Amino acid sequence: MADTEIMVRMHDIHKSFGGLTVLDGIDMEVKRGEVLAIIGPSGSGKSTLLRCLNKLETIDSGSIEIKGDFLAVTREGRAEYAEAAKEHKLLGCMGMVFQQFNLFPHMTVLQNLIEAPMLVQGQKREAILPYARELLQKVGLADREDYYPSQLSGGQQQRVAIARALCMKPDIMLFDEPTSALDPELTGEVLKTMRELAAERMTMVVVTHEMAFAREAASHVIFMEGGHIIEQGVPEEFFAHPREERTRAFLQNML
Amino acid sequence: MDNLLSMVLQMAEGCEITLQIFFITLVLALPLGLLASLARLSEWRPLSALMEFYIWLMRGTPLMLQLLFVYFALPMVGILLPDLAAALLAFTLNYAAYFAEIFRSGIQAIPKGQYEAAQTLGLSYPQTMRRIILPQVIRIVLPPVSNETINLVKDTSLIYILAMNDLLRVARTIVQRDFDMTPFLVAAVFYLAMTFVLTWGFKRLEAHYGRY
Repeated sequence: MADTEIMVRMHDIHKSFGGLTVLDGIDMEVKRGEVLAIIGPSGSGKSTLLRCLNKLETIDSGSIEIKGDFLAVTREGRAEYAEAAKEHKLLGCMGMVFQQFNLFPHMTVLQNLIEAPMLVQGQKREAILPYARELLQKVGLADREDYYPSQLSGGQQQRVAIARALCMKPDIMLFDEPTSALDPELTGEVLKTMRELAAERMTMVVVTHEMAFAREAASHVIFMEGGHIIEQGVPEEFFAHPREERTRAFLQNML
Repeated sequence: MDNLLSMVLQMAEGCEITLQIFFITLVLALPLGLLASLARLSEWRPLSALMEFYIWLMRGTPLMLQLLFVYFALPMVGILLPDLAAALLAFTLNYAAYFAEIFRSGIQAIPKGQYEAAQTLGLSYPQTMRRIILPQVIRIVLPPVSNETINLVKDTSLIYILAMNDLLRVARTIVQRDFDMTPFLVAAVFYLAMTFVLTWGFKRLEAHYGRY
């Protein structure tokens, strides 16, 4: 029962920047515990789709549903967002990991983790510290809590960023090309952390160029191009027998 | 020797008004400049246009002219300020404009990703500014703020035209009375001492904020 709960549902999402249509009628849903991988060439709209999900970008029309509540609906052709308190609550269900890490450079690793729980959730420092340390342990950086981000490698920074997002106890984790800014030898440690998270049945939406990760860790794969979903399916099927010519061409290029 | 001592003491008294103008201007102009920079960056066009005009006006005219305006022109329209208040008004308005531009450049130097990270963690705009953006801005703006602060020490000497007995005016009075140039040298030493303390202080601050 719990496994069929719809965590995210996006319906008929349209978004354009100026005259350029970036998302042209996207439908997708993610159930609890699922890992959705979104792949596609750059400029296909996959990052924009992810950013629309947590309102880093606003949609022009369509609807976004988070855990059964509407973040945005469309009335008379225009998207309307939920009132501030509800919006804050729904957006709070999601944690985000960025391509560029975006850690706070003036804070230590530990401060990066506990800042938002203290400010946003009003938790006491002592109350959140054990969980923050547990998360650092989990991402393999227990001995780095007093370091500043600039003293860490890219892979370590990204693992801190994952721990920072987790520290808010989100129900859904969003990843926007989390390994694209990393040296090849550092992507492995970040992907390992993400695999562990997936194994714990965290609901995840991952925009990625890592085909191996999509194949092994994802429960569902979406291939986007030109603001459309070209093809989707379970990874075994999707990677072994892509139906669309464009999917085949893209996968051939990636391998 | 007694002569020199009494000269130095007289000039130390002149330092009092110099330091008064310096500290009060700094204490008022820094927060005002911060507010002005936030207003200048506002998405509400009338507010940012107003700030742009204010900054243009303050940077586009000599501080000396602004002092004369506050001191001589305002009384003509019925606004009569005590000497010190008049000087402080001109200095504060002028320096706030310069600080505003320094803070604006500092705020704009913070990558967009910092705001996005704060937003996705649920921080409000005031929380984001106070905890994430401004602490990073301080580090960026320390060198130009230090520069401007040292300018302020020397700019205080402009109040001699308002007949206030600051360090430089006291020196000049003694020079004219005694036909002795020593007071100018003593004044130079006083100014150098003040800027030395400031330079040292800002160095400490930069080291503190440069730890990451």
